Amino acid sequence: MKESRHTRQGFWAAALIFALFSLPVMAGAPVPDIPEAVKGDQCVEETGFMRKNHMELLLHQRDETMHRGIRTKKHSLKNCFTCHVVKDAGGQPVTVKSPKHFCRECHDYAAVQIDCFQCHTSVPGGHKTTGEKL
Amino acid sequence: MMLSVIYAILFYAATLLLIVGVGRKIAIYARTPAPLKIPTTPAPITKAGVVWRMTKEVTVFQSLFKSNKWTWLFGWVFHVALALVLLRHLRYFQEPVWTVVALIQPFGKYAAFAMLAGLAGLWARRFLVDRVRYITNLSDHLMLALLVAIGISGLGIKFVSHTDIVSLKAFVQGLMYFDLQPLPSDGFLLVHLTLVLILMVVFPISKLLHVPGLFFMPTRNQVDNPREVRHTAGWTAE
Repeated sequence: MKESRHTRQGFWAAALIFALFSLPVMAGAPVPDIPEAVKGDQCVEETGFMRKNHMELLLHQRDETMHRGIRTKKHSLKNCFTCHVVKDAGGQPVTVKSPKHFCRECHDYAAVQIDCFQCHTSVPGGHKTTGEKL
Repeated sequence: MMLSVIYAILFYAATLLLIVGVGRKIAIYARTPAPLKIPTTPAPITKAGVVWRMTKEVTVFQSLFKSNKWTWLFGWVFHVALALVLLRHLRYFQEPVWTVVALIQPFGKYAAFAMLAGLAGLWARRFLVDRVRYITNLSDHLMLALLVAIGISGLGIKFVSHTDIVSLKAFVQGLMYFDLQPLPSDGFLLVHLTLVLILMVVFPISKLLHVPGLFFMPTRNQVDNPREVRHTAGWTAE
């Protein structure tokens, strides 16, 4: 009886040790690889705020610009791309068609549709093509 | 980081309780004999017919529709909306996210309102219908309150004060891969997650067990063939 209890304890100890050691072996959780901004060390608002509320800023900006005719630079979509660009192998900024695009890195991860680029350009400076549909 | 560790431990514990608890209940239900042949007639006379009957029970709540239209309306709206909302939340558990789940996102968002409307109707019924109020227990109110609070806190995240959902997904993925990631500490999110933890813990000991229990209703899952096949179960088998 005493021996069997020892065996059981041994089993659980072995299982625990195995579980602990197997943890680091497991693959890391998939997390988005958020690209660094190409210049500047501070976004137009604080980073934590931007991660939560960038969509509100963009929508507000749209209302101000479209409905009231007040066109400012700070919170404009165009201004995002002055810093948040990802370059391809040839050194050209990637469009939203690429999964590496700054917006798509997180939007794909969170399964959130972006409605901006059906009309707007997704690269700095803009280019002539329109309708960069996802 | 302290917060992430606490929530990680709570989620592991709650998940274990939910799975073991519901599994245990299902095992008990499966072992409980139904000694009598009691399908509510008119009942299907083939097994395929029973599958069809159960499908209708599960998807459109046929019995409830026949018995009470108001309860059916609120109950069905609530359950369908809940299904959409749950499907929408699948995005936190998948990488890459299924196309259906991605497409359902906008619908799931508004389904939350339908869910709350359904719950409000079901709760009003417990106050306004005399016969229902008479048989209402405290736990009936508590389950409704819990679900309503989960819905409201969820809507709070979506429409009042956002959280960093990318970090949140990383936290959930971290739980699944045993690779702890930081949890955003936003008010609505923490309330939402805490209430979900409570729901997971009480689920196996609450009326919410009608989810697996539905499939064990002898009046609905039996084939109407008492003369063709002798029915024996439990004490009738002895």
